Amino acid sequence: MLKKLFGGGLEKQVLNFIDKYLETLHKATQCLHNLIKKEEIETSYCIENLEREADVLRREIIAKIYEGAFLPYLRPSLCNFIEILEKAFEYLKICAFEYRYLNQNIYSAIKNLCIQVAKINVEMCLILQKAFSSLENKKEDIREKNLAIRVCEKKIDELKMEIMESLRNCEVCAITNFWEGKNISEFIEALVSISDVIEDASDYLYILELSLK
Amino acid sequence: MNKKAKEIMNTKLETISPNATVYDAIEKLIDKRIRSLLVVPENNEDEYGVVTIRNIIFNVIIPEIDPKNIKIKEIASRPVIAVSKDTHINEIYFLMKTNNIARVFVKEDERIIGVISFFDLLNYILVEKAKS
Repeated sequence: MLKKLFGGGLEKQVLNFIDKYLETLHKATQCLHNLIKKEEIETSYCIENLEREADVLRREIIAKIYEGAFLPYLRPSLCNFIEILEKAFEYLKICAFEYRYLNQNIYSAIKNLCIQVAKINVEMCLILQKAFSSLENKKEDIREKNLAIRVCEKKIDELKMEIMESLRNCEVCAITNFWEGKNISEFIEALVSISDVIEDASDYLYILELSLK
Repeated sequence: MNKKAKEIMNTKLETISPNATVYDAIEKLIDKRIRSLLVVPENNEDEYGVVTIRNIIFNVIIPEIDPKNIKIKEIASRPVIAVSKDTHINEIYFLMKTNNIARVFVKEDERIIGVISFFDLLNYILVEKAKS
């Protein structure tokens, strides 16, 4: 739809940059999943590199939009979409950072659940990419993608409850140190917030589609 | 639908003792906002069962039997339909359709380790369709 209505050079550049931005987000979530699954601390630095790449793309997108791409009423919506997704990179970075300092005795109680959450985050990113592609090309209804993302987010909410329960009921991993508690709390909060951001972005895409009709 | 049962099953199983009352089951179903409970075996010779809202409504509520006076083992459905964790989703779908059931349990050796309901199947299909 976006390509059909706005096939100009600047618009195409913006759409390409947004595609790359979403691809970078997808890679970052995959990176986090690999980090948690394989427990390779060095992998955590890839997220910071990808976040920097995403920052460059974000500036390019916003600059091109305000150079004159798209009609004025669409510009804030596209900028807001990118600003929403920027929060996902923040959470990914926090998650990777906190992971390096996790107390493994405490973390072992929730490790499998965290891996599941990270895997679902990767799937949600992929679906968001496809949703944006649908919006660009008007191939499929974006509603199905939006619904799938909401289903995934609900699953993560359930996993979050399980993680909290596991931590509270774990006898061998009692948290007695403030910094350990803060560390695991921020790790979990960041990990489960990524899906909230992707869901918000998906809802925003849906609103964007409605506004184009 | 090429995934296996272990990949989509829900491992959070809500169970109830066969000697608990139907009223206990009703309380649990309402508190947890679920539609069924796995009835655990009484002893080594016993088998798993399942009690659903449907069982309770048709066998207890409508006949106006006092739920506090009837035990779960009197209305539970036995045996449960269970598959191994490596069973393909297509087979599970086929089992649900031919047996007209809303859930299939997943077992490992003789222990029930998870359940796949209509919702789990629907969620899986929606997400796979969106990814493709």
